[in-house]
Parts: sequence; C-alpha cells; structure tokens
Amino acid sequence: MRRVLLLLTASLVLVSSAFAQERTVTGKVTSAEDGSALPGVNVVLKGTTSGTVTDVDGNYRISVPADGGTLVFSFIGLTTSEIGIGSRATVDVQMASDITQLSEIVVTAQGLERDERSLGYSLQSVKGKDLAQRSETGLLNTLQGKLSGVNITGASGGAGASTNINIRGVTSFGNNNQPLIVVDGIIFDNSTTNTNNSLFGTQPSNRLNDISPENIESLNVLKGPAAAALYGSRAANGVIVITTKKGGTTSGKTEVTITSSVNWQNAFGLPELQNQYGQGLNNDFNNQSTNSWGPAFGGALTEVTTLQGDVVPYRAFEDNVSGFFQTGRIIQNGVNIASGDKDKNMNLSISSTFQDGIIPLTDFSRNSVQFGGGTKLKNGLKFNSSLTYVQTKQGGVTQGNGGSALGQITRIPRSYDLLGRPFENATGRSIYYSTTQNHPLWSTKYEQLNTQVDRVFGFMTLAYDIKPWLNVSYRATADTYIDRRQLSLAIGSARAPTGQIQENLIYNSELNGDLMITASKDNFFVEGLSASVLVGQNVNQRSSQNVGADATTLTIPGFQNISNGSVFTGTFDSKSKRRLVGLYTDINFGYKDYLYLELQGRVDKSSTLPEANNTFFYPSVSASFVPTAAFDIESNILSYAKVRASWAKVGNDANPYLTGTFFVPAGFGNNVASVTFPLSVGGVSVPGFQPSSRIGSRLLTPEFTTAWEIGGNVGLFQNKLSVDVGYFSSSSTDQILNVAISNASGFDTQTANVGEMTNKGWEVEVSANILKIGDFQWDISGNWTRIRNEVVEIIDGVESSTIPGNSFIGISPSFKKGSPYGVIIGTAYTKNAAGQRLVNPATGAYVPGTPNTVIADPNRTWIAGLTNTFSYKGLSLSVLLDVKYGGDLYSFGWVDLRSNGSMAITAADRDQPRILDGVIDNGDGTFTDNYIQIPAQTYWGALGGLASEAAVFDATTYRLRELALNYSLPKSLLSGTPFGDVSVGLSGRNLWFFAPYAPGDPELNTQGAGNIQGMDLNGAPNTRNYGFNVRLTF
Amino acid sequence: MKRFQKLYKTLILLPFAFVLGCDDFLDVNQSPNSPEKVPVSLLLPSGLVGSAFANANELNRFASTTMDYLYGAAGGPAAWDIYNTDGANFGNQWRFEIYGGALTIYESIINSEEAADASSYVGIAKIMKAYTYSIATDTWGDVPYSEALKGAANTQPRLDSQEDIYKGNAALGIQSLFDLVREGIVALNTTSTINPTAFSDVVYAGDVARWGRAGYTLMLKLALQISDREPALATSVINEVIAANDYIVTNAQNLSVNFGGSVGSQSPIYTYNNISLFQNDIMASTGYVNLLNSLNDPRLPIFITAPTGSYVTYENGFTGTLAPVANRSKWSAAITGANGVGPVKLITNAQRAFMLAEAALILPGVTLPAGQTAQTLFEEGIRASMALAGVTAGNINAYVAANPAVVTLAGTVEQQRAQIITQKYIAGTGNGLEAWNDYRRTGYPAFAEHLNAVGIDGKRPRRAQYINEEVQRNPNFTPVVLPNVNVWWDVN
Repeated sequence: MRRVLLLLTASLVLVSSAFAQERTVTGKVTSAEDGSALPGVNVVLKGTTSGTVTDVDGNYRISVPADGGTLVFSFIGLTTSEIGIGSRATVDVQMASDITQLSEIVVTAQGLERDERSLGYSLQSVKGKDLAQRSETGLLNTLQGKLSGVNITGASGGAGASTNINIRGVTSFGNNNQPLIVVDGIIFDNSTTNTNNSLFGTQPSNRLNDISPENIESLNVLKGPAAAALYGSRAANGVIVITTKKGGTTSGKTEVTITSSVNWQNAFGLPELQNQYGQGLNNDFNNQSTNSWGPAFGGALTEVTTLQGDVVPYRAFEDNVSGFFQTGRIIQNGVNIASGDKDKNMNLSISSTFQDGIIPLTDFSRNSVQFGGGTKLKNGLKFNSSLTYVQTKQGGVTQGNGGSALGQITRIPRSYDLLGRPFENATGRSIYYSTTQNHPLWSTKYEQLNTQVDRVFGFMTLAYDIKPWLNVSYRATADTYIDRRQLSLAIGSARAPTGQIQENLIYNSELNGDLMITASKDNFFVEGLSASVLVGQNVNQRSSQNVGADATTLTIPGFQNISNGSVFTGTFDSKSKRRLVGLYTDINFGYKDYLYLELQGRVDKSSTLPEANNTFFYPSVSASFVPTAAFDIESNILSYAKVRASWAKVGNDANPYLTGTFFVPAGFGNNVASVTFPLSVGGVSVPGFQPSSRIGSRLLTPEFTTAWEIGGNVGLFQNKLSVDVGYFSSSSTDQILNVAISNASGFDTQTANVGEMTNKGWEVEVSANILKIGDFQWDISGNWTRIRNEVVEIIDGVESSTIPGNSFIGISPSFKKGSPYGVIIGTAYTKNAAGQRLVNPATGAYVPGTPNTVIADPNRTWIAGLTNTFSYKGLSLSVLLDVKYGGDLYSFGWVDLRSNGSMAITAADRDQPRILDGVIDNGDGTFTDNYIQIPAQTYWGALGGLASEAAVFDATTYRLRELALNYSLPKSLLSGTPFGDVSVGLSGRNLWFFAPYAPGDPELNTQGAGNIQGMDLNGAPNTRNYGFNVRLTF
Repeated sequence: MKRFQKLYKTLILLPFAFVLGCDDFLDVNQSPNSPEKVPVSLLLPSGLVGSAFANANELNRFASTTMDYLYGAAGGPAAWDIYNTDGANFGNQWRFEIYGGALTIYESIINSEEAADASSYVGIAKIMKAYTYSIATDTWGDVPYSEALKGAANTQPRLDSQEDIYKGNAALGIQSLFDLVREGIVALNTTSTINPTAFSDVVYAGDVARWGRAGYTLMLKLALQISDREPALATSVINEVIAANDYIVTNAQNLSVNFGGSVGSQSPIYTYNNISLFQNDIMASTGYVNLLNSLNDPRLPIFITAPTGSYVTYENGFTGTLAPVANRSKWSAAITGANGVGPVKLITNAQRAFMLAEAALILPGVTLPAGQTAQTLFEEGIRASMALAGVTAGNINAYVAANPAVVTLAGTVEQQRAQIITQKYIAGTGNGLEAWNDYRRTGYPAFAEHLNAVGIDGKRPRRAQYINEEVQRNPNFTPVVLPNVNVWWDVN
C-alpha cells in the first residue's frame, strides 16, 4: 500500500527551485524493511527550500553547496532522516516506517488527495482485497459489516437483486436517499428501476451491480456533507468513491492477474415447518384449501382426491417448500493486464460473472471489458482516460402477494406434493390445488421478467502544470445505459389470465464536465504554513427515457412477442432532462503537520427549480488538530491523537418537471378492476385525460441539509490499538416533497418545500493487533454505529404521510412527526391503558384492531461488525461477524405460514385448546385476564393476518456474515514458474445466523433499494453462499 | 509562459461567465411527457367513466353485499357481509374515483378556457358533477363541497352539511345540488360551438337533448332522496321536473355509461365478477334468489347464473364451507354486460317510473302528468325493467296477467311503498348504492339482518366511515363518525 501512496504523492509534491548551484549529489532511497525502491520521497537541503523528489526507481539528484550541508529525507508514514552530506557525491538512504505517524494519503471529493490527518471529517477506506472473492456478485453486499455509519440491506438472495444503502440515515422524505457513487471520477448511476409495481414485480438490480467486486482497487466512503459537498447537490446522502484497478503502479512492468471463483448458494433461513397435519380446515381435509389445519397424518385418512380427481396418499411432503429452491451457482472469472509507470500506462480488464439463482429459471450475468491508460506528453500535458462496456442480464420471476410463485410458496399445504407431480398439462396450463392461482413451478416457467442492460461509461482528463504551483485540469465523464426489459406472463397467469407481454426500454445518461484549477504554496507567508486553493466548475446533464408497450389477450401460446397481443394498453413514454452548472472552491491551510483548516463552497444553478430560486450557495468548513505532533508527545502508550470537527450545508435541487401541473392519460381502479384510456368502446377508440394527482409549484426553493460532526482518533501502544469515535448531527429542511393533501381538493399531493428531519449518530471504529507471535498474527477491526432519526416536522396539520412508492392499503411505510423515518403504520392490537390486548368475551378472539397506528419501526437500534484476521505466513483467515440489533421486519411470509398452520410452532399441542394473551374489559374500568379457550386454528388465526401487528417481528440478528480463507503460495515455490503470485482461497457468506425473535432470516427487504424498508412481502429468501477461488499473477 | 498566464486567467474567469450566462442552457424544464392543457373532448369521457367507477366498483360491491344482492364469500365482501366497514374501506373511491377522479375532471371542464364555446360540455359536466356529489354525500354524509376541488387554493376544504349540499346555503356560499343541475340544464340549452361526439360522450354519443332528460331525472332522484326530511322542497322540485316534461321516458334514454369488451376497457362490475383474482369473493345471495322466486320473477334466470341447473347461493353472513367455485350462482351478463361492455346504469327509465310512483304516493302535493297514477307508473317501471333485461313483450304481458298481486299496488301507503321499492330494488340489480339509499330512506326491501352480523351494532351500516387518508390529511374530519350514524336525509 505504501508503495501506491508514494507514487500518488510523487505527482503532488511541489518544490520551489532556484539555488546557487555548486555541486550535485545523487543517491537511491530504499525501504528499510524489504529493500525496495521508494519513489516520491522528499529530499530537501536543510535550511533551504531547495529540494527534489525521488523517481520511480527511488533515485534522486540534487544540487548542494560545495561544502557540507544536510539532506532531509521525508515521506508521510516514514521516519524522517537527516543525513550530513560531507564530501560524498552519492548518498543512499534506507527509510523505515514511522509507526507513530499513522498517516495515509486518501482520496477525497473530486479526486483530491489529502493527508488523512488533515481531514476534519470522517472518511473510511476499504481495500479491494477485502471486497474481492467473497462469494458475492454485488459490490454493496460485500461492504456489509465493514463500515461504520452505513446501513446496508440486501433485498433477498435472488439473483441480481438490489441492495439498499444509507449513509448516516436518510435525509429526504421522498427523494433518493442512496449515496452518490463515483467510479474513477465518473458519477455513476446506481438507481433501482422498478418497471412493475414493486409489491408484485421482480427484484431488479441496483445499477452498481454493473461493477464487479473483483475490479475494485479501493473504495472510500465520504460520510457527511462536509466530506462530500464538492460533489454538489447529491452529496447530502454521502458519497462512495470507487477506484478501479489500473495500470501505472508497476514501475514499467507488465502484470497480468487472473482471478477465478466458483460458488454455490442455497436458500437459507426458511422457517421451520410442521409435518404432522395436512391440507384443510377444522381438521377436515379440503383439496382447495391453502391451509394445513387438516387431519393429522397417520390417522384414518390415508388417501385423498386432488382437485384434478387423482387419488394420492395423504402424508407430509417435508421438502415441498425447501425443495422448491434449487442450489444456485456463481462463476466469476477475470483477467486484468496492467502495464506502465506513472507517466505512461495502460490497463485492460475483462471480467465475467454467471449466476444461476436459487429460484428455478432465474439468473444473473455480467460481462465487462475496460480499457484505460494515461500518458504525459513531452510538452507536459497529462492525458488519462478509460472506457468500460458492461452487459448485465437478469432473469427473474414475478414475486409478491398472490398470483406469483413466491406469493404461493408460503401457501403450500404440508400434504401437497408440490414437486412430485406434473405442474402443467398438455396445453401448458397450470395444475394446482387452486383454480385461480398457479403452481409455483408453472409461475417460474411462465411468469418472467428478463432484463438486459448495455452500459458504457468512461472518463477523459487533461491536466497541465502551468507553474509548479499552478495546475489546470479538465475532466469529462459519461455514463450511459440502455436497460431493455420484457415481462412475459403466459396465458393462464393469475395476474393476467389472458396473458401479457410488456416491453420496456429504459435509457439513462449522465454527462459531467469539471474544470479544476489548483494553486498551492508551501511556506505561505509564514514558515510551515501551506495553502492550496481549488476553483472548479461543473456542468452536468442527466437525461432519461422510459418507453413501454403492453400487450394483453395473447393468442399463440409460447410466442413471446408483443405482436402476439390482441389488446394494447399502457403504451407510454416518459422522458426527463435536467441540467446543472456549479462553481466550487476548496481552500486548504495546513500548519506544520498538526493543524489544518479546509473551507469549501459551491454555487449551483439548476434547471429544475423556478428561475427566481434556481441559484443557491452552500459552504462547509472543517478543521483538524494533531496534539501528538503539535506537542511532540513521544510515548509508548499514546502514539497518536487527532481531533476533528466540521460543519457543512448542502443544497439540493428538485426532480425535473415538478414546477408544473399536468394532465395525464386517465385511468381508474386497481388490481381488482381497472381501465386505462384510451378505451375501446364499441369499436371506437376513446382517448381520455385527467388532471394528474399532483399540483406543481412555481415557488419551489432548494432543499438543504445542514450537518456537523466531531470526532477523535487515538493510536495507543505504538498504534497497535487504534480507536476512532465520531458523533454527527444533521438536519434536513425545506424538503421538496409531494405532500399528501386532502383528496377533496381534487388532487392527492402538492409539491412543496416542507418539513424537517434530523439524524444524530455515533460511529466507532476500532482496529487492533491482538497477538503477534513469530509469523502468527491476529488482527481485529470493528465498527459500531448508532443512528437516531427523527421526523421533526412535516407540514402544519399533517401528522404523518406515506412514503412515495407502492404499498398495500392499511400497511403504510410512513414518516410520522416525532417518529423515525420509515415506520410502518397499520392496524395494531387494541389495548387498554395498561398496554394489554383486549379480548372479545363473546369469541375469545381479539377485539377489532386500531388502524392508523405505528406498528413497526425498521430502523436498527445499533449495528456492528467485527472482522478477525488470523495470518500465518501465506495463510490468512478472515472472519466477519455482524450484529444488527433491534428494528422490525413486517413479514407476509411468516404470518401467512403461521396463520395457515404450516409453521412448526402451530403443530405443537394442536389438539389442545389455547388462550390468547390479553384481557377482557369488564365494562367498569377493570379487566379480567382472558380465560376463554379457543382451538389452535382459531388461536393462530386470531393473532392476526397479513394486515395486522401479528406480521411484525423483531429483526435482531447476529450473523457470521463472511468467512475467507486464503493461501498464498510461498515465493520460493514459484521461482522458475511464470507466476509472480498464486493464491487460492475458500469463502463463504451468511454461514450462520441467530435471530432470537424471528422464525427465519430477517434480512429481507422485498422492495429492494429505496425508501421503503423492513418489509418481506413474499419476495425471495436469503441465501447462504460458499465456494473457492484462485488468483494468479504473472 | 506569458501566453499561459493569459490562458489561465481566462480559464479562471470562464466558469463564472458560464454560470452567470447559462439561462438558455438551463431552460429545459418543460415536461415532454404531459400537457398542461387538454381539450374538453378528452376530459369528458374520463369524467363519465370515473362516475361509473364510483357507482359500480367497490362501493357497489359493498352496497350490493349489504343489500343482499350478493353474498360475500371471501375478502372485503365477506367483511361487508357481516357489516364490518371502517376507514380503511373506499379510500380508492374517495380519492381516485370521486374527488380525484370524476369530480376534478368535471371541474376542469367547467373551468377550461374552452368553456365559453363548449357550453354543452359544461352542462354535462355540471349535471354529472351533481350526480357524483350525490354519491359522495349519500355515502358519507357531510362532505367537502363548496370549498372542494380548488386545488392549491384550498388543500384542507371544510365539510358542508348534507342538508346544505342538498338545499344550498347562501350565507355559507353553498350552491344546492338542484341549482347545480339547473345550471347544467341551462348550459345545455345555450348555443355551443364545441359539442360532444361519439368519441367523447360514452353515454349518449353526443345527443345533448338526452343529457337534458338525464338532468331532470337526476333532479327527481335528488328530490325523492330528501323527501322524508324535506317534503315541501321535494314536492316543489318534483313538480318542476314534471312541468318541464323533459325527463327519461324510454330505456334508450337511460343514463348509462358504456365500456368496451377488451381488457383495460371493461366495466368494473364485469372485471371483478368475471376476471379478477377476487372473482370468487362474491356470489349471489339466498335472500335475493328467494325474493325473486317468491314473485315468480322472470328476471331471476336472466340476472343470476345456475351452473349446476339450480341456484347455489348462501344466506348473507353464512360462515360454513362453500361449494366449489364452479358451481356457484353469480351475476350473469345481463348485469355485468357481455364481455364487460356494461353499460353501467346510473339512472334508468324504470327507476324514473318507480320514483314518480313513490312521489305520487307519499307526497300529496305532487301533480302527475295527465293519465298517470302511482299504479300506472309502478307497472310501467316493472315493464321497463323487464324489457331492458330482455324479457319479451309477450312474456311481460303474460307475467303481468298471471301475477296481479305483484303488479298491483294495494294496502296501506307503507305497504304500497314497500311494493314500489321492492320492484325498484329488483330493477336496480347491479346498482347497489341506489338500493342502499332507498333502504336507509324507506326501510325496504324489509330484509332481515344478516347471520353473524357484527358491524357496530349488528345492523346494516347507515353510512360509510370517512377514509383514513382524509382523516390523516384534513383536520376538518375529526371526530370519527361511525357507520351506524344516520345521514341527514335518513330519518328512519
């Protein structure tokens, strides 16, 4: 790593020239540890400003006075050496690590490189090797448990399913809360586009899935607005800065790296089911029932007749649910060729991923090729560019309540032979126990959504040093993709009985141009004061289009073309274009190596706001102080200490077209009955429009997030133990939101600037070397995060509002004044003042529930991750445990399995009567403990169904998230072979979990990345992945 | 180097210049997706279909279950079958069919730039606005009216009392529904250069004269609805309607909304009953079949299917195991419309005849046209309904001849009223809201309460509870009014 740092810094170090030349000294600087050349080391003649830096081979040449003189060799992270020249013409130096310095160069906003100690805000880095070869195709999933202040939740174990990420809580009521992703300087789209209602569609990918975890060199997380403000309006959610593998770090050598892995995955964390009772109700067999409240097995009933009239044995089919899921397989291969030095380099990278999912006939694949390079021309102009093409395919099945494979899989009676009998007849229709629903295997075969994304992204930079202290550069980036989708529901599909073909073409493009002028000066007015100023300008354009056509009433079975339809509805075209011009500055002061101050400001002018309000300014200030350096503290206990503080404000513009009020093609109804204009009435096509449900606003102003953070970092025992503690607080105001208004106004929402939401949190990071005995080493690295979000204010008279998106009536993911964002408002058990559930004395069941009550809060109380790394010579074992403590999951699947008598718990003492927990109102202000006995079926049903508090489970989970065992072959073994490095490894994910309050794995989030969290609405289950990998370097 | 110095000075200044002078570059916020204006001809069909949804979608299933047309076998209808309804019900109806649907569309027509040249559209819009508001107030009681549909100008409109909505209240600036219809009729009679056509008028295909008849018949319906509460006002309005002599008098003049026979164009009754995932949640009720059997009514086999050859129905509130779905009796194509073409019948000729008959019976001041009596109108209503159902003229005559007790009003005023409302109930099969309105107003047909009834008090709901969303969004909607509280015109 240090080697990389050295090179990165080499280009930054600026030294004044001009001194009376008397003689020349040359030499080579090498590492005290391994003797390798150290490039980029500062070499200064003491007492002067005359100096140079070492080249890639560690060589330097400097002019010195005729007699004597002392050379000072310095580099961040290494102990500074002062060496008298005497009369020597050659001075070679070995430099050793400075363990007390604990300092690294890190990449911050807009690619700026900063000494870690100068940062007044929190920034966390993850190395590529900690993300690669982790039995996982999605980059965000590989970050789980490794970052503080960051909450990551996968939608499911479905192939290619999206992953939600929020940094330091959510800041916006209704807009995107995912962080900005920057890949090699390219603003990289990470949207998750649902072409279908997210309650019933597939689980599409978030577009960061277009990048393979294997291609990452490093990843930096800029958590707060102070760190991210230079990126402009989208920085309020934090920024993930990704650097992919590149050439130019190999000192002219060409290096070829091949990685390969194969992994398997299984559905994991399914609830335990009972095998004592079969299909039916009230102990009677019923061949159409979705329930398992039928007679016990092994009794009088030994044979039953199916709906199709077949006589079959009446017995448990223990694996009828778990056996539906198959063993998934992930094969990843990659070749990376890197060559050149820092002035001239190239890189070619090809990678491919193929995944067969755990649900039959689902898959995910990603193939990418990237080529990049850079050169420094003779006139000093530096040119860098890279271009990547990636094709990502995802094949998924429709999910969600009713009418889908996963909507049915929780409704398979225990005696139903799901896998052993045919699921379709000769005409391709489903054979199932229900006439209105389809066999899950039929659904996986005939209800598919296939997507193909073709994406190109790249950048080009030109840089020139006008003066040694003045640099100008221009960077142009582009990221564009087309996502083509086809939803195909065959004739007989429960949701589209006449069949349906839906074609979607989604185009997305973002262009950015950044002009940056940087001036910097050491010993600015005062000895030891360095200053740098950056002035930048950003021009941004984002455009998108979504065109679709929809055909129903298909005629030719199996012909999946839109021309197969007889009725065409829902043809649509939605375009958007937005532009923004920003101007930004960053002013940086450093005094010696212990006091730093950074000021930033940005003005944006956006196309999406009304002209009168479309220009807005936001500043930030941050500072850091390193007492150990300031006071020259030399101690074996306290090796390093730093305190930091920052304050920032970030402005954000609106989405396009929110200023106007429009008319839209009319439509009425929902999934029970609906029409969409144009209607075809008596052979005449009747077009119709209606006012859109939203009122636009010509008075919109930008929304702002204001945040501050403080923190400290100490290194103890020669930095064997490092602890970093931070606290942050942010407040988001004037949010641009489509506020729910009285429908009697004729509209459903009105766009307005409203409300306030705050996030406050603690972040702790610890790393330590626990043990070092000979070649054996045990290191730990841990993090702990606690975030408290509060909706402080929405708008006068509005207590709560539903989060924009798809939700079931009566189960509303909401933001409610005084509560954290994302609580689920639904029907709660009706309770007395003492909090006891009220039971109806006439029935022994609960009295009707209380609607409009907060019944679930998906926000975690705290989350933590702990990585243990054990290494011995070439062998290393890394074990990541994480904890997500608190927070609720609203699960359709579990409550369904419980109320329909499938879950194991429902078979316990089924023949015994039960009493619901609760009290009976005596009508005189007193309550009697419920004593009314009811049968097991009534009991489990009375707890509540899909739309009730019974569906809420505490999602606390302790998990063995990741395990990686790696062995690097000793160099001695490789001498004489073409290999420079060979390593093999085993890895596994989600190998074990413990969720004390949930019947299965609570890490489910059916609607995927987005603002609605904490709901399992009949989506795919989670998976356990494991496999092996190999990595070869030539 | 000098050259470069100049260059970098320019470069530093350039971005400032660009930021300040980029207005054209940033002028891209006009939506390419949606128009800010549309002609009235594109609004009318949406409004009419919206009103049809308000009448015939969820509210109809609720009212048809409550009123024993249907038995709720599962889901929402099963809850309504035991009178369970609360603020979680009918959100879509209030939000997207009534206020945010038909009403806001009619309002857009009335306020459009074209309005001055399109008075026929304005007339239709006002009549249908009054009709749609009557659904809202008859269902929920006091509702936003005079302050409603004003968009950003009033995002929390107050409630107007049902009394003020029907009668008007000048002091509060509330126009009566009658005056709204009268304005509509005046507008229909005003010269209009932009007129509806078959492409925009899915009721009368552009026949503006028929809209006038619909307007007067609507006034009759509104007046009769408040007749027990405000007999004098009802009498005067009904006499005004009779005097104008311009109301629906043939089945062809029915105010009924036409749908299409293909997916996405079909009537909601058909889609729910025949296509949707929830089609087996409803089936015919035993009470209904027994009633028609007791009257030897020839419409029974026309309205209700019998897949097994006999009627497989359940008594409302029944909770036992049900017959296989394929065997159950359901609404037939005569109610749902073949392939979903409907029509959704909002006001019919038969209904008009029964309304006039009842008015003559209970309102002494009502003067019927020469030659008409409550009895002639009662028989006219039965004949009109049977004819619409497809009973041949010969069979109608035969039925009338064979069942004099059914087609002849006899007994006390209340007994005769029961006869009229019962026949109106049969004629109105498929329009549950009107039956529920009549039941609450008159107590007929005198069905028993459902088995296992729960609700608030074990009796049929007297109104719908305000939807949760509206209560959440508009502070004028507190406190909660439960479904067992009578609306203003419900004096029984």
